[in-house]
Amino acid sequence: MAKVLSNKLAISLLVVPGMLLFLFAVFVPIVMSCFYALTDFQGIGNLHFIGLENFKQILTNDTTFYRSLLNALLLALAFIFLQHPLSLTFAIILDKLSGKFEKIFRVIIFIPCVISVMVNAKMWVNIFDSQFGLLNKVLDLLGLGVLKTDWLGNPHTALPSILFVNCWMGFGWAVMIYYAGVKGISEEMYEAAKIDGASAFKLYTKILIPLLKPVISMAATLAVINALKTMEVPFLMTNGGPGDYTQFIANYLYTKAFSDSQYGYGNAVSVIFVAVCLLGTLISNKITNSGNYE
Amino acid sequence: MNKIGQKKVVIWVLISIIVIYSIGQLFPLIWLVDFSFCTSNDLFGSFILKLPSPPQFINYVDAWTIGKYPKFLLNSVLINTLTVSVTVFLSIIMGYAFTRMEWKLRNTCFTIVLLGMMIPIHATLLPNFLLFGKLKLLDTLPGILIPYIAFSMPLGIFIMAAFLRTIPKALEESAIIDGCGIFRLIFQIITPLTKPAIVTVSVMTFINSWNEFIMALTYLNTDKFKTIPFSIMSFMGLYGGNYAAQFAIMTLAALPSLLVYALLNEQITKGVTVGGIKG
Repeated sequence: MAKVLSNKLAISLLVVPGMLLFLFAVFVPIVMSCFYALTDFQGIGNLHFIGLENFKQILTNDTTFYRSLLNALLLALAFIFLQHPLSLTFAIILDKLSGKFEKIFRVIIFIPCVISVMVNAKMWVNIFDSQFGLLNKVLDLLGLGVLKTDWLGNPHTALPSILFVNCWMGFGWAVMIYYAGVKGISEEMYEAAKIDGASAFKLYTKILIPLLKPVISMAATLAVINALKTMEVPFLMTNGGPGDYTQFIANYLYTKAFSDSQYGYGNAVSVIFVAVCLLGTLISNKITNSGNYE
Repeated sequence: MNKIGQKKVVIWVLISIIVIYSIGQLFPLIWLVDFSFCTSNDLFGSFILKLPSPPQFINYVDAWTIGKYPKFLLNSVLINTLTVSVTVFLSIIMGYAFTRMEWKLRNTCFTIVLLGMMIPIHATLLPNFLLFGKLKLLDTLPGILIPYIAFSMPLGIFIMAAFLRTIPKALEESAIIDGCGIFRLIFQIITPLTKPAIVTVSVMTFINSWNEFIMALTYLNTDKFKTIPFSIMSFMGLYGGNYAAQFAIMTLAALPSLLVYALLNEQITKGVTVGGIKG
């Protein structure tokens, strides 16, 4: 028994190829990034070591970097205070509907999530278009023509538009996570509460929400990570513009390296990016788990 | 109002809330499909939706032929089939070694792999572009498969390991006593039992890699292996002003995953709720 399950040759055959693949594609590049972050490499030609100069520049003198961080923070807040409460409400309603309706709506709600981010993002670019966009037409129809604008070109509306699209695309995922949580609570719990005379409102705020706390904290952590990692939507819709109003870290490091040929600098942003993601995960884990009883 | 009547009202209020919400989720897509059958001029009219008269099937013909849709579709199918099958295979063998076998570095290796779930794909783009360039992997099939599989592995192994822990050990013990070797044990006895986990891992890997495009954009520079999202990109370059035809190619690009979702929505919903942690 022990012999078969601790056979070194078998273990190596099972684990080594996968581990090598993983280290090669995920960890080696991070190490390389740390190396290039210390240079002034421009993609081609010679590189010179400049020590921590890039990091110093980013942390003390790079407004775009701080704007990217701020935007990620705003997105995390939008996720947590707009997307998630709505998703939780819809998960509860879905569960309550039961039967045919439950299934139909569950299927519909997740549709945007199976469609490629490319289609979603380009579709929203067209919806926000100033000449033929759906949004401006709807505003006209509602008699709100004064609000019409070039949604992605206007510095005041570009960021809210990007935040909105991110929330819209992630709704299905968030609803599904909460839906699984709500489904996991047994029917008897509701019955017991009802017998004790709890009103419907009390039932949800005093019983269901506390029971869902582990799910909520997991979802909140995910929201923070996803907000920090955002790249595809701004990349495809505005590429950070106008100016750097809709810049996000991942998009910023990409632009720095591939459009501005500041490869070393881009890598330094990338290293900070990884650190921020790991730190963000840890902190939000701490905050959301602090009140948990397991 | 009596109690039953009250209950009915509540149900209808709930249904109408969720209907409004669903319209919010679906209407943009309906708009897209609707105008993909119109001419570009129709788009500049004041209608929100418009019955296409006559339907402009030419948009779809253009998208299919000039957008080289079949070629991109084939690439997507090829790359995803390989990514999903290798990820599932690695999840089974590594998940097994991480949960059932006894070796020294087990916990260290498991932690390293799980750490991969927190590392953003985007942080590997710049160095991998150089690394793959030096190794002549840019624009090749392995050059796209390696990062796709490497980034699907952590979640796959995580789901598989969690499932394997629920399988009782008695079965393996008796198999080993009967003289069953480790590989037969994994592939003939364990693998069939992990079917639900295999479905979950496949679904999550499929959704993530089918829609992925930033790695493909970085590591592939010709059309040779580019996937469906790029049909939109290249078509937009060629057909800049023809918005209706662009809507057609976007509809076509969304279609395969919608079809898969229509066929497998039960498994996908289950997979998403089990593996809800999106990479």
